[in-house]
Amino acid sequence: MVTNTLSGNTTTYDDHQEQSRLAQWQADKWLMAGSFFMGTAILGLIGLPLFLRGLVLQVRAQKVGLSVRPIMVTLIGYLVIVDAALNSFGWALDMIANHTLLARVFLMAWGNMFDAGYFWHYNELWIGGATAPGEKAWEIALLPIVFCMRMAAGIGFLQMKRWGHQWLIVTCWFGVVIWVGYVANMTIFADVRYSGVVFPVIGWWLYDLFYITPFLAIPYLHTVNREIFTD
Amino acid sequence: MKEPPISQQDRRRRRALIVFQIVIYGYLLSMFLIQLHMASVRDW
Repeated sequence: MVTNTLSGNTTTYDDHQEQSRLAQWQADKWLMAGSFFMGTAILGLIGLPLFLRGLVLQVRAQKVGLSVRPIMVTLIGYLVIVDAALNSFGWALDMIANHTLLARVFLMAWGNMFDAGYFWHYNELWIGGATAPGEKAWEIALLPIVFCMRMAAGIGFLQMKRWGHQWLIVTCWFGVVIWVGYVANMTIFADVRYSGVVFPVIGWWLYDLFYITPFLAIPYLHTVNREIFTD
Repeated sequence: MKEPPISQQDRRRRRALIVFQIVIYGYLLSMFLIQLHMASVRDW
């Protein structure tokens, strides 16, 4: 029988594996619940404390020597899922539910405050929703392709699968394409998007900085020891 | 504990990633500054 003292007590290898699995599941339950709420945007404030509780459990399990997922993998994985969920919900509302009370209240409020692309002639195109030049094309291209793929990649990455790591690299590079194009669009059509809004330019950048950051993960993904991910 | 020496390939990879970060954040910063300049000269 193999014995070790990884978690401070003399225990068998199997016990250690079982304790690690349970600790990881315990942390993941809180992290998943938190991410679920944060991903809806509107219920985000409910999600944050749940997420932080999960993070504390994750750090604690790592500190006592259990074999749990590295903190950096946990943070990047959940950040990517929340980012993709927020974009999916917001843009799905705008694309297919643009006449609902929820969309007209929240998206037009967003438009009024930061980005007139969601206010100017809202719901006046044949397709409905935002009317800013190019906006609908971005929604159609990115929603079913990038953001769905990003959520799947995030889940695979959190499960420490090799395909999760590889697809997260692919979708993070997609993120670069998205933001180079989208920010160029915002600048070219700035007269449409910032006219008459309450907080032009700075408001949009402050809010969107969070969404732009996922490609900060690119250096980590390219330099991490890929042997920690399994087939 | 002494860090193991990094290979030439790793060194090149790290350099490329640093250059990429500078280019991408430089681009975002310049777009932000252009928009800020537009905000200062337009009646938004």
